Amino acid sequence: MTETIERLLDRARQGDAEAVSMLYQRFLPGVFSYVAARVPDRATAEDLTSEVFLQMVEGLARLRARDEASFLAWLLSIARLTVAGYYRSREKEPLLLSLQDQGRQDSPADSPVGPIDDAVRDPLALIEGQEDWQAVVQAINHLTEEQRQVLVSRVILGYDLATVARMLGKQVNAIKALQFRALQRLRRLLGDGSGSLRVAQKRKERVP
Amino acid sequence: MKPLDERLNDYLERLMKEQEEARHPVGGCPEPALTQEQSPSPDLESLVGLAWRLRHAPQLQVDPEFARQLERRLVDRYAELRQRSQKRRPLFTALRWRPALAIALSLCLLLCLFCTSLLVLAAQVTDPANPLYTLRRWEQHVEIQLSSNPASQATLNLQMAREQLSVLVRLADSGQGEAYQQGLLDLDRQVDAAASAIARLPAGPQRDQLAGDLAALKSDSIHELRHLLSRLGLPERLATTRELGQLGDTVPTLAHVTVVLQSHSTNGLVTITLTGSDLQPGAQLLVNGAVVEAHETQRQSQGLIVFVTNWQGNQRLQSLGILNPDGTVAQTNAIALTSAGESHQRGGSSKPTSTPTPHGNKPTVSPPSHGDQSLVLPYVARLEALAEPGCGGGIRGHTATPGCRVTKT
Repeated sequence: MTETIERLLDRARQGDAEAVSMLYQRFLPGVFSYVAARVPDRATAEDLTSEVFLQMVEGLARLRARDEASFLAWLLSIARLTVAGYYRSREKEPLLLSLQDQGRQDSPADSPVGPIDDAVRDPLALIEGQEDWQAVVQAINHLTEEQRQVLVSRVILGYDLATVARMLGKQVNAIKALQFRALQRLRRLLGDGSGSLRVAQKRKERVP
Repeated sequence: MKPLDERLNDYLERLMKEQEEARHPVGGCPEPALTQEQSPSPDLESLVGLAWRLRHAPQLQVDPEFARQLERRLVDRYAELRQRSQKRRPLFTALRWRPALAIALSLCLLLCLFCTSLLVLAAQVTDPANPLYTLRRWEQHVEIQLSSNPASQATLNLQMAREQLSVLVRLADSGQGEAYQQGLLDLDRQVDAAASAIARLPAGPQRDQLAGDLAALKSDSIHELRHLLSRLGLPERLATTRELGQLGDTVPTLAHVTVVLQSHSTNGLVTITLTGSDLQPGAQLLVNGAVVEAHETQRQSQGLIVFVTNWQGNQRLQSLGILNPDGTVAQTNAIALTSAGESHQRGGSSKPTSTPTPHGNKPTVSPPSHGDQSLVLPYVARLEALAEPGCGGGIRGHTATPGCRVTKT
């Protein structure tokens, strides 16, 4: 039976290293996804993820979080600050790539970046291609923080709506809307090409 | 029809559920097969597809080797932090994880807080009848002890004595006899302590100044205490007179008191001779702490007064004294009892035959060793009656002895 986060946190605060390991294992995918979605390469993502968890270990004694949602929110806030620190310390702005689909009529607010290469129009192809991952990162960096957190916690990690709602301090309906807008905007930033995102069709092509 | 965000959420929920049920390994999950009924909108399909690709994007998956290495680092770091924290803050760590200790310490802290509050409260108490007054005296004592040098101690004592003087005025007005006497003792103690501290100072301007302050305090105290005398009861007057004497004022004292029973008198006439100092003209006789009416028959300057009064009834002789017109009082229970017959027979040169008891209430009587025993014995019996309780003797005085009558001879 999976131990509750509350119990794990209590044990970790009491000095139980095993509980710290279990917390780490449980939240590593989420933190790594969040960080990796915001930095251009895996090495940097791993470095920053390490920083986040080291800060977690140092902050456990002072932590007041009692449940999974608040603990994840705390971890993601550390991750957000760590990523921000990374860009600030290196005086690096997230790489600006052209993401605008020439075939789309994005509003200026939705398209803060220049046009994307015509050869890369399919968001799925962008995600799949390692060389184009930077474009995905750039697109995710153009989402709002709430949209990013919903994308990570709900879409990537698969947390239920109620947990994500508690984490962000919002209503469930607001999370649904955020989720929709995040994906819609991401698709727009990546450029959805000419309707090539037919999941079912791809599924049929791959799975006999 | 449901809004788009609701429908998107429904699709995602369904896919996640299917994936959970199928228990596909992460990264190898096949893309969801949505039926036409499940995903009628190509727009939604593209969003779901994007979400699904993102969910399984290899760039977002953790490398197992990295995960293992980081876990080791974390555990090591955690152990290091624990060790450091235990070395640095063993108490806080112990408190955090030992509730009983934390409760005990909290109680101690509360107790400290309570004691501090009590000390603060006690510091404001000036009434000796207040239960916190003892604590205040202790605080003052500690404060003086902590003073670094005799000059500071003297200054503190002088300051406290002045405060005490104002408290005495208030206590006298409010008629709190016991508290007043206690306050008087404290004043005496503070004045003595100040004098002692000044005496320890080397000669110099500082000592002269403090000595001047002490003299001024004594002068003010004498003035205030004399002013208070008229408002006090007899016990407080006695204490105040004693304190006035300590402060250097002129106060009455009794060195010797003799009671002589008239041998020829059938109604109990007694002659009381008081010898001492500052026995002022117009002083009143005090018997057992009460003013009695008596006739002053003789006076030698301010050193001797002779009263004659009538002695009958049930009053037991415990003390004799005088009340001066200025309100000062002197009293003693060292009384010599004798008879006039014996005195006359011996030409007035014999010593009193009773033995004074300076601290007791019952003077003992010894019959004279010479002379006619038939004459002496009845007087001795009457003297015994003066000394013994319930013997039927007593001084008649309308002030303090109801039923007694004062007779002037």
